[in-house]
Amino acid sequence: MLLYIAEIVAAIRISLADRTNFTVLFSGMVLNNGFVLLMWFMFFAGFRSVHGWQRADMALQIGILAITFGAATVFAGGYRDMAAAILRGDLDARLTQPSAVLPRLLAQESGPHGWGDILVGVLLLAFAAALRWQDLPALPFILAGSLAIFIASGVLFSSLAFWAGGARSFARDLVEFILLFGSWPGSIWSGATRLVVYTLLPAGFVVVLPVHFLRAPSLVEGGLLMAAALTYAALAWAAFTTGLRRYRGA
Amino acid sequence: MKPTPLWPWLRGTCAMARVGVAATLSARTVLLGRALFYLLVMTVLTRFWTTVAHETSAAGITLPAGILAYVAITEWIALSVPAIHLRLEDDIRFGAVEAHLLRPIPYLLGQIGQTIGAMLVRLALLSPGLGVVLLTGESMLPPITAWLSIIALAVLGGTVHILLIALAGLSAFWVRRTVAAYLVMQKAIFLLGGLFIPVTFYPDWLARFARGSPFAASLYWPAIVVLQPDQSTVVMAFLAVFAWIVALSLLCAAIWHAGLHRLLTQGI
Repeated sequence: MLLYIAEIVAAIRISLADRTNFTVLFSGMVLNNGFVLLMWFMFFAGFRSVHGWQRADMALQIGILAITFGAATVFAGGYRDMAAAILRGDLDARLTQPSAVLPRLLAQESGPHGWGDILVGVLLLAFAAALRWQDLPALPFILAGSLAIFIASGVLFSSLAFWAGGARSFARDLVEFILLFGSWPGSIWSGATRLVVYTLLPAGFVVVLPVHFLRAPSLVEGGLLMAAALTYAALAWAAFTTGLRRYRGA
Repeated sequence: MKPTPLWPWLRGTCAMARVGVAATLSARTVLLGRALFYLLVMTVLTRFWTTVAHETSAAGITLPAGILAYVAITEWIALSVPAIHLRLEDDIRFGAVEAHLLRPIPYLLGQIGQTIGAMLVRLALLSPGLGVVLLTGESMLPPITAWLSIIALAVLGGTVHILLIALAGLSAFWVRRTVAAYLVMQKAIFLLGGLFIPVTFYPDWLARFARGSPFAASLYWPAIVVLQPDQSTVVMAFLAVFAWIVALSLLCAAIWHAGLHRLLTQGI
């Protein structure tokens, strides 16, 4: 854990060192989020609600998603290119070192653009999500759960690279599907699509469940979020270690 | 001045496109996954628009009857475009570009050719899924003759899409990661290209701006033909995509030369 912290701090310092690069990426992400917000705010100006989901719920949902994605990019940015690192053979050098491979892969990069997402997310939660003061204690809990599930999914998808050569683009696409599905009103999911967003592409756990929990806190939903975080983390760990064993033997 | 060797370049680009076709066909598992995800996305979008259609619209908006057919085509194109920016980012960041400079066709042209080849395979592979969505939907479909235009426009619109994403990838000459440029481009394509709804449903000022943008040439113009298969729309669509392919190609070439100059004189 200490090694992870030391590595990610170094990665963050590197990402902040080039001011121009940081400014371009930071403002790029703010602009990117601006497009998404403009789209949904225009949509909700016409259709006031989608199955009970209103503009404030959408702002809360996108705020949680932005903070989750931003925090994952800043504090575990290696997840985004993990499939490429596996396919390029970057693991060879790491396998000769005594520390665990996965945490070092996650900490090998910090994306400066993530700060832009975090800023937009915080602003949305503060000014557009209609949160109450009594919701604030639950925020760290749901953000931690959402972050754990999101990073675990990224690792799970990237681990496909141990088995499939074309997994780089596919793993990224799957992560982007989580972001994409997480950007649609949480009220539209039902039947088979609900099953998908609560299993294969866990956008439901990353944003929808946290929104429900913040709007109407309950022990069941809190427990479900925690159980989901632990399950996805365990699955990601199992997929990565199995793949690594195969990689070692190849 | 040395004349541009157009014919060898064209042959080289076609050869690179064949490489793209072969490479994409070799990753069968990934192709199958992509086809399944197309169906999944369409299931989700069907669910979304069905839910929306049942809501009372405060602004009195009426959704067009063929909205799902329109979205099926925009998604068909969007999901068929490979991530060329990642390849550009890798090659520029890790110095692989230099080795390509000795080759007889320009590196960027070769990469775009290879990506178009990969896109053609994906378009072909996802087309049965598109057929399923269109045939099982309740939308009125245009006549068979319009489909030839739609297919040609999808290929050309996809090419516009590739050029837009390549622009994001070329930002690697100036910034370490292209992700921000890519995401901005992607969201601009989603919003101004009308991925989820025709841009004509936007406020008037935004609709006018979007229709004239390259983003609409990527998705809106190829897909709108399914809702308005009249001759003037088809002609407008072809004009828009051709004009933007030319303009974006020139822009890509200019940025490539500026980036290459920077790379060779200053490094990254």
